[in-house]
Amino acid sequence: MDSFFTRYRNLLVLLAILLAQIIGLAMQVRRTDSGRNTVDAHDPPGVRLIRLWADAVVTPPEQLFHTSKLGTVSLWQNYLELRGVREQNKDLQKTIDRLRLEQASLIEDAKQGERLQALLDFQQRYIYKTLAAQALGSSGSDTSRVFYIDKGSANGLERDMAVITADGIVGKVREVFPYTAQVLAINDQTSGAGVILETTRIRGILRGNASGRLQIVGLLADQRIQPGEKVLTAGGDQVFPRGLPVGVVLGVAPDPERDSFIDVIVKPDAHLNQLDEVLVITSTEPRFSAEQQRDMAASEQLKGTEAAAIKDQQKASQIMAERLPGLTDPNAPATNPAASPATGNTMPGAAPAAPAAAPAPKLLPARRPDRFTPGATPATGATPTPEVQENKPAPKPKSNTSQPDTSGRNP
Amino acid sequence: MAVLGADHRRDYGIRHYPLLIYALTPLTALVLQAWLPHLLSAFFDLPLLVTIYFALVRRDSIQGTLMGGSMGIFEDALTHHAIGVNGIAKTVAGFLAGSVGVRIDVENHTIRLMLTFLLSLLCSAIYLFIYRVLLGMDLQWSWLTELAKAVGTSMFAMVLFPLLDRMQIRE
Repeated sequence: MDSFFTRYRNLLVLLAILLAQIIGLAMQVRRTDSGRNTVDAHDPPGVRLIRLWADAVVTPPEQLFHTSKLGTVSLWQNYLELRGVREQNKDLQKTIDRLRLEQASLIEDAKQGERLQALLDFQQRYIYKTLAAQALGSSGSDTSRVFYIDKGSANGLERDMAVITADGIVGKVREVFPYTAQVLAINDQTSGAGVILETTRIRGILRGNASGRLQIVGLLADQRIQPGEKVLTAGGDQVFPRGLPVGVVLGVAPDPERDSFIDVIVKPDAHLNQLDEVLVITSTEPRFSAEQQRDMAASEQLKGTEAAAIKDQQKASQIMAERLPGLTDPNAPATNPAASPATGNTMPGAAPAAPAAAPAPKLLPARRPDRFTPGATPATGATPTPEVQENKPAPKPKSNTSQPDTSGRNP
Repeated sequence: MAVLGADHRRDYGIRHYPLLIYALTPLTALVLQAWLPHLLSAFFDLPLLVTIYFALVRRDSIQGTLMGGSMGIFEDALTHHAIGVNGIAKTVAGFLAGSVGVRIDVENHTIRLMLTFLLSLLCSAIYLFIYRVLLGMDLQWSWLTELAKAVGTSMFAMVLFPLLDRMQIRE
């Protein structure tokens, strides 16, 4: 018996270790209601402990590597970019001012949309608070597209919080440790995000395939889906707020498992393979954040300043207009009596003035009239008598300058 | 290929390394495996490489089994999959490398590269077998990716193996 163990020692050790791991695997897998086997989303305490240990061993050296890399890169970039930073700063300040003004109008629209949504009893979630984090390292396996960030439960992170960049969505927090967190990227096979195509409004579920490419799976074949169309989050998955950029459609491939279904290949907006900084959405609320409110106040103030400036300009124009000599007589009556039937100056039987006729401008009498003076008699020189003028209705002016008033002020 | 007897290899061919190398090399491999895909694509498997190397040069199946198992479990712990899938695959790879190391000339670079390439593919096959057959779970698979990974691992072996060879204790 002793010789048996000695002889097959290597093989027995192998079998013992394999058996232990197989039993461990069996304890982690469970059968769902649909009859499929799956790994529980929430790790059992023992498994979580192993993950915590592995994370505690790997994360400090990774942080060291990452900090060294960032330090070197930033040192070089700072040196290179310092020269043009002042001009860039001025440009950015101008852009901020312009964007604040634009934001004010957009926020007003958003407020209106919020009110309408409240009327429809629909809760729209806005990004309320985000937390910036550094991506440290990955799982190291192409079958598990997860990565680690340097913020954890100590920073207020929780499971299923959305992780984004300025370009687009990245993933969701899967596991939270005290000072780090594991993020499941959207291009993992087990990932899933509700998305919508911007133009066609077709909804679907986004996930990764074996090679890490993003695809919207299980869509019915539709000719309207064209490359280049934008893909946004649909907001129905309780993880990502609605309307965040996801990527653009690269093409369409037939579903290998089901006829008449297609998979839409999507190019992600975020650089999923080379992430440095990410934002974790720690809170989504149906209201505006304090920062947004500050921006709104600044925008309102800017708008007020601009409006005051415009008002001042208008006032100055009025003053200038009053001071400058004009063609119109300020003492003249407001309307032409001959043109208005309501004045009662028309003779009986005379044709009433056209109601659409605009009042002719009251021109000041010219000191030295000549043939170019408005209202002067052309070649014949016959000046119409005032009686005739009074009996005739005012002619319908073709324009303000070509039809002067002939109410007797002209010689 | 110079094939010698097991006793001959065991007596004269076992290499020894400083304790720090035994401790730091696997740890560095695990950290780099987690960190490098952040910069490059993950077409390599450094923990497997270290497992194969030490199992070969130590010519010990049990040591290869234990190292492969612990490295695999560590890798699994960093993923979101069940813990043990990589562990089983690398346990088998370590055992085979240790068993083969007794029988072949481990000084030959070509043999070591070929062995690394084959064990990398075997690891992938075991991984797929466990996932789909043993656990009965869905997993999309691309053999092209696994082939690229095996080639990448072999390329890393061309650099890492000679580097580790230099660190052995020479009597």
